[in-house]
Amino acid sequence: MKFRGFREATVLIALAAILAISEGIYFRDKISWQSPIPASELVTVDQARAWGDGAIWVDARPDEEFAQDHVPGALSLNEDRWNELLPQFLPNWSPEKRVVVYCSAESCNAARDVAKRLRDEAQIKDVFVLQGGWEEWLKKK
Amino acid sequence: MKTSILTLTLSSFFCVAARAELKWEQNTIELHPGIGDKQAVAHFKYENVGKTPVHFKSVKASCGCTTTQTQKELVNPGEKGEIVATFNIGDRIGQQMKTVTVQTDDPVPAQATTVLTLKADIPQALELKPNFVYWQSGEEPKPKKISIKAAKEFPAKNITVKSNNPNFEAKVKARAAGEWTIEVTPKDTSRVMIAPLTIETDYPKGAPKSFNATAQITNPPGAAPALRPSPAAPPAPATTSTPAAISSPAAGGQR
Repeated sequence: MKFRGFREATVLIALAAILAISEGIYFRDKISWQSPIPASELVTVDQARAWGDGAIWVDARPDEEFAQDHVPGALSLNEDRWNELLPQFLPNWSPEKRVVVYCSAESCNAARDVAKRLRDEAQIKDVFVLQGGWEEWLKKK
Repeated sequence: MKTSILTLTLSSFFCVAARAELKWEQNTIELHPGIGDKQAVAHFKYENVGKTPVHFKSVKASCGCTTTQTQKELVNPGEKGEIVATFNIGDRIGQQMKTVTVQTDDPVPAQATTVLTLKADIPQALELKPNFVYWQSGEEPKPKKISIKAAKEFPAKNITVKSNNPNFEAKVKARAAGEWTIEVTPKDTSRVMIAPLTIETDYPKGAPKSFNATAQITNPPGAAPALRPSPAAPPAPATTSTPAAISSPAAGGQR
């Protein structure tokens, strides 16, 4: 009787394992992975705030969200209108400034993409992504 | 009368598994929009291969740049349909990956949530590296270079460059077919100023495209940004706020 329960548990675990492995094989090409942002490119709200005037805040969210509310002093720079907004951002930048880019939340990719373009295309250094984005900034407001 | 745990678990599993299933033709769609395309549209087709109706609980795109359209909320057994995901390209370039998360009332967790992926490879007509060159105030006015490369799909033969600020001189040198170098030299770096550079191509014939880069003399370290137009200003079209703060319509991209 004692062994019966053990046997049943083993069968259930084996079945679960078979199902999990089958699903893993079936969906192997269907899972999207994105490498995490390196820690050196991330900044917390507290750290970014401590930079004071030495930081330029960049809002990578769509125009409508920026229009609703944004970090005071932030500049809008999103990929919907990148070619139009970048020239508005550049006059505010100088080499000693750090750039803090944010989007809606931890899960959004817009800040990461905008930060990458600033580094790659404009070759601007010291560009950081705000951890937790706008949501986190609101929490610590 | 004793019912084993195994029998109970297996029977409840098979009852649930046989209930409903939405089968997707493709979970990932790769799109190859052309230069200048505004949208990339993916059609994710499905069929209810189960025995009971499936309800869509939610269909959410990963970014505001993607909109989704479902034809129906209820899919009866044997019924087919599609979810249309429209990715608004905007000024994006390169590899883009957007997801659409579909949630149904299917009781099997693995089948209740499906992540559909839209991949788009957006060509960049003219690659400018970098699209921004700068000198710090007082720095020696040495020339700086912008490397330009045309995409295969954008067979421009020649380009010309125009500096919109007389303090900056810009010259084009051809390197190879579809490749050029622009050399930008400021006459004077003592004052903070900005120069939009307009790069004109000869393609396509009849309506050739132009692109923009920016050259700038930045303020010395520690100084307040002299060119700052309006920090919290909403994204309005570029305007000139000071004689030096000339804004260009685009930088490194198509107009």
